[in-house]
Amino acid sequence: MARVIYGAWDGKVFDNRDKGIFEIEPMPELAGFDFFNEGNVVKAFLGDRGFFVFEPGVDLLDALRRYAEEAAEESCGKCTPCRMGSRLVRDKLAQLCRGEGDAALLAEIESLARHVRQTSLCGLGQTCMTPLLCALEHFPDMIGETRDPSGAAAVQHAMHYVTAPCIEACPAKVNVPRYIDYIKNGQPAHSLGVILQKYPMAATCGRVCVRFCEQACRRNLVDEAVGIKTLKRYVADLERGLSEEWFSKDMIRSPQPAHLKVAVVGAGPAGVSCAYHLLLKGYPVEVFEAKNEPGGMAASGIPSYRLPKEVLRAEADIVERLGGRIRYNARLGKDFDLDGLFAQGFKAVFLGLGCDKGRPLGVEGEDLSLSGLWTGIDFLLQVHECLQGAACMTLKGVVAVVGGGNVAMDCARSALRMGAGEVHVIYRREQKDMPADQVEIEAAKEEGVVFHFLTNPSRILSEDGRVTGVELVSMRKGEPDGHGRRRVEPDPGSERLFGCQALIGAIGQEVDAACFGASDGIRFNRWGCVQADETTLDTGRPGVFAGGDCQLGPSTLINAMADGLKAARSIDDYLHFGRVRFFPRSRMRHMISEFRALSKESVEIPVENLYRVEVKELDPNVRKRIFDEVEKPISTEEAYHEASRCLRCYRIYSVVTESPIPDAAL
Amino acid sequence: MRPSRPRNRENESDSEKAMEATINQARIAIRENETILEAARRGGHFIPTLCELADIDHAPGSCRVCLVEITRPGHEEPAIVTACNTPIENGMVVRTRSRRVREMQRLQVELLLADHDLDCAVCARHGDCELQDAAQFVGLRQSRYARPDLAKQRPRDESSPAIIRDMGKCIRCLRCVEVCRREQGVDALVFSGAGLGAEIAVRGGASQGASDCVACGQCVLVCPTGALAERDETEIVVDYLYDPDVITVFQFAPAVRVGFGEEFGLPPGTNVEGQVIAALRTLGADVILDTNFAADVVIMEEGAELLARLKEGRRPTFTSCCPAWINFAEKLYPDILPYLSSTKSPQQCFGVLAKTYLPERMGIDAGRVRVIAIMPCTAKKDEAQRLMFRKDGVREVDVVLTTREFAHLLRREGVDLAALAPSRFDSPYMSEYSGAGAIFGTTGGVMEAAARSMYSALNGRELEHIEIRALRGFEAVRTAEIDLGGSVGKVRLAMCHGLKGVRTVVEDVLAGRSDFDFIEVMACPGGCVDGGGRLRSKKQYQPNALKRRASIYAIDANKTVRQSHNNPQVKRLYQDFLGEPLSHKAEDLLHTRYIRRRNAVKQTIAGIWRDITLSTLVHSEFDALDAHRANAGREAKAPLARSGKTGGRD
Repeated sequence: MARVIYGAWDGKVFDNRDKGIFEIEPMPELAGFDFFNEGNVVKAFLGDRGFFVFEPGVDLLDALRRYAEEAAEESCGKCTPCRMGSRLVRDKLAQLCRGEGDAALLAEIESLARHVRQTSLCGLGQTCMTPLLCALEHFPDMIGETRDPSGAAAVQHAMHYVTAPCIEACPAKVNVPRYIDYIKNGQPAHSLGVILQKYPMAATCGRVCVRFCEQACRRNLVDEAVGIKTLKRYVADLERGLSEEWFSKDMIRSPQPAHLKVAVVGAGPAGVSCAYHLLLKGYPVEVFEAKNEPGGMAASGIPSYRLPKEVLRAEADIVERLGGRIRYNARLGKDFDLDGLFAQGFKAVFLGLGCDKGRPLGVEGEDLSLSGLWTGIDFLLQVHECLQGAACMTLKGVVAVVGGGNVAMDCARSALRMGAGEVHVIYRREQKDMPADQVEIEAAKEEGVVFHFLTNPSRILSEDGRVTGVELVSMRKGEPDGHGRRRVEPDPGSERLFGCQALIGAIGQEVDAACFGASDGIRFNRWGCVQADETTLDTGRPGVFAGGDCQLGPSTLINAMADGLKAARSIDDYLHFGRVRFFPRSRMRHMISEFRALSKESVEIPVENLYRVEVKELDPNVRKRIFDEVEKPISTEEAYHEASRCLRCYRIYSVVTESPIPDAAL
Repeated sequence: MRPSRPRNRENESDSEKAMEATINQARIAIRENETILEAARRGGHFIPTLCELADIDHAPGSCRVCLVEITRPGHEEPAIVTACNTPIENGMVVRTRSRRVREMQRLQVELLLADHDLDCAVCARHGDCELQDAAQFVGLRQSRYARPDLAKQRPRDESSPAIIRDMGKCIRCLRCVEVCRREQGVDALVFSGAGLGAEIAVRGGASQGASDCVACGQCVLVCPTGALAERDETEIVVDYLYDPDVITVFQFAPAVRVGFGEEFGLPPGTNVEGQVIAALRTLGADVILDTNFAADVVIMEEGAELLARLKEGRRPTFTSCCPAWINFAEKLYPDILPYLSSTKSPQQCFGVLAKTYLPERMGIDAGRVRVIAIMPCTAKKDEAQRLMFRKDGVREVDVVLTTREFAHLLRREGVDLAALAPSRFDSPYMSEYSGAGAIFGTTGGVMEAAARSMYSALNGRELEHIEIRALRGFEAVRTAEIDLGGSVGKVRLAMCHGLKGVRTVVEDVLAGRSDFDFIEVMACPGGCVDGGGRLRSKKQYQPNALKRRASIYAIDANKTVRQSHNNPQVKRLYQDFLGEPLSHKAEDLLHTRYIRRRNAVKQTIAGIWRDITLSTLVHSEFDALDAHRANAGREAKAPLARSGKTGGRD
């Protein structure tokens, strides 16, 4: 556990310089700060609120100079103090390092650094001088105004990491403030370019993302989070015409050898994203898709009133534009298996086959052959097929949907659109416990969906092979469980009958185990998901990596796309080095999150309230019967306004290590 | 659009009444959603500002000069904030003049000057610069960080005949971007680059000419420094004046005479037509004539054209006098071009007549004539260079001076306009004008002038109420229906000024959603009286718009001849030279055609990725930053190892 020799963080000063290293009390908050990578001791850490020195012999001045160098390089140039001040500080620290300093120079550095911190427009300028100012204030003797330049030759290994709370919250680590910058700056194509660095499905994500970034947005401390998702959709839609011509095989400048073929199983968000990145890295990629169209759960599981099919389709097409091949109607376990892929010459496989088997309710009378009874996912699939013109169905009368997640909301709202007279959602906990997106819940209510909380089905009633109703039981709240949610249990004697013509059980999904045989060498975890290493997505079988819902369980689009990127990086390493290399930035992220350096934020200075853009929607009474997209696009003017709300909460983190940090792919 | 900063504060709710703050020891009742700067200005406390421009609701907070010290209730430590975008709060104590504040404001301006081209004596804004003012306000006496080398590295864009963009003088206030975006809706400017390379660029990295820029010059009007200016062509005019072989023929626009006096200390809006004539005489001008005359000619042609089109059932027709509007139509909405009147602008009608009709009448050699136009407009410079406005390579209009250059010219020649006795035109040819020609300078004027003449043509008598109130107003897009009588009857009219409103009107026409017969367009908000070539006004956007407008209408009201077709010199022109409106000769000389100039920027994702800065790419071969580092090496490269990736955003 790391022992702080000296340092300061959040105004708290640590000074153990007079103690022997083992006399220093280790700090439990700094667990995980001992080694950066294997055997590589972390000697110092610098961040937005101060710095720590863990080892003797750290050249603090040099570390600060390099941190300042990073700050100067990251300055966007919009505001005066950061643009010019950070550069002057950098240059003057370099002068100090060369031994050309005196008391006047030191005073000048301090005044400039203070000026940058106090008067900069955004989070970068406001925080990037903090380690330097902490050092100047509390440990001036460790910097010194004079310095022997010959003593500076000792090599200090360091790494810098620039991030923001929204970036850290995003599974794909999209550089959110940067793409907002580009909107603000009037360069929407560049904005989309920033998003496309991480995944190809920007317009899809701009419609259905669950917005971890917006939860982390520091604008929440002022008024409301920046409408990040809305802005993403704005640039993706605006540039859609252009972006259709953006991708072609020509852009791959360094193709890999033809024999390094990679197979991707599943053309859902994880598979498409993985194929995209592998293709950009120059690998020949073939995608195997069980259905006859790309998109996976985003195609069949997300209703078109939220995600128009052509939007998704255009983005999935990028794989083919880049020279990838998609084989449709090829189902793992039925049409091919893993051994077969390797036998065909594929050198690596990504499993992104999803988690598309609906979980049964497990109550008496449940028989999936009953007419009017579906799992949530099967229902959505049937709606999707109906809208594609195949196997149409109509709903009549009362429909009950069991579950409180987004799939349940999708089922409820789709059921209305398919003609249901009434739609009731049955959820065993309270509204505040619902895992569904609040926006979705509100939209469903506006459309007339009725909610029954603290209620659960206990028996399914049927007649002549048709669902006729469901027996419901009230739930009562018990003690909190380990996760802080209160357990619920049935209230005996509260059973009553609820007549309905259809019942949809949207309580979860699992991986279709029929896809794998014993020879595949794939293991499953206790939730029935494909077992894989969290960081590398390595399944244990050499060359086979797994990500997205099949590895995470039913998750989100953005998690799946992030896994696609992660897997592409792992496969690239595997094919070149036979193993997945250490990934320094991922390590930095873990350090930061362990330390919670980005949490407990407050905004010290009053900030003007700027209301979040209101996304216009189709009228609930109109939209509830049609599958047209509910959310309307925002105007350019609204986009400029919304982009101007971003506080650009960039922060720079830096480590000094004993030995060089191993290089890794970007 | 800033729904968050309501500008109408008349309906204050009860809860706001009690709110109070202290600025420099004086208590002040504050309003909801008010910034410190707004409250301070109301209370008479001066705070130096630079990027902020209240008239266009612009406070990007980029210059950081308007620093003040605040203490919030419940906070002991005072904080330094920018007044322009920090809300004032109940109980807040604000100090605008503490020593700390003054020192920080001073340092800020010093940092601003560090990469600024400090060659002030030769700057277009010499003596009229908001940055110089700011340096004075904060008491700056030295510039320790000045780096002329950095200023020199910043680009200077001279690709446009109209506007020079000298980034070495840009302070990144973003006013130009804002006015182009929000007031004009052209959106041709972007903020690009990063760090010291951060600059205002033309969208798509193109030259101004090849870009969406329409040369309206509204950006020049709001620029606080000399970063944006017209292409200065006064030297050419001086050469002409001093050349005995050249016969100089001057014209000045309807709006110039009401927007020029304040440069010489006269009240804004003063009609200085007589002084301008006198000043030109003092300069040695050979022939002094009036663009207003040409405006009357335009009405003859355009009115006839419009009536012909109405009879053919072709509608709507757009006016064509405004060159920035022509650029806008050609570059952004080429499909609208068939709807534009083919009549040249008054400037060009004047030019072509001054090189054909005038020499013939005056018995002078047309080859010696040089036409010099004084215009409140930057786009007129651009217009005068169009290839179709040349005959055998000779330009119809040789030089266009903006009102600002004309002011420079007078100062160079030691002419004090205010001290001159007003004079009069003395040419029997192209100097007399009707009230209709005079009102061309303001929004609605062309329409009103046209209506007067068309009514007469259709009914054989003059319109009774000659001042058509329905056409006068200040909304960005106004519509009216008037009865022209005769065979035409009621017509639907629209008048738009400011290209933002124009965009909507054009889109409606193209989509078949509109029902107009005649649409007047002036690209600049307010019309030519507030054109991009008018005198600059520091820290204000259109301070004199209404005064100039009132003067223009007063000129009309005081004229005995108020219809273009009754202008005796116009009558003589048609009698002796052109024949009739739309005659073969008139078509040849006074009409033009337009070119589709849509600028399709071809982008690829690879190109965009190479262009993106401050965001590390997953695929390094597209990483501009990496490429930059590999090629250029890094300044002050340390003797230390860099492992990992810097700029390591993931």
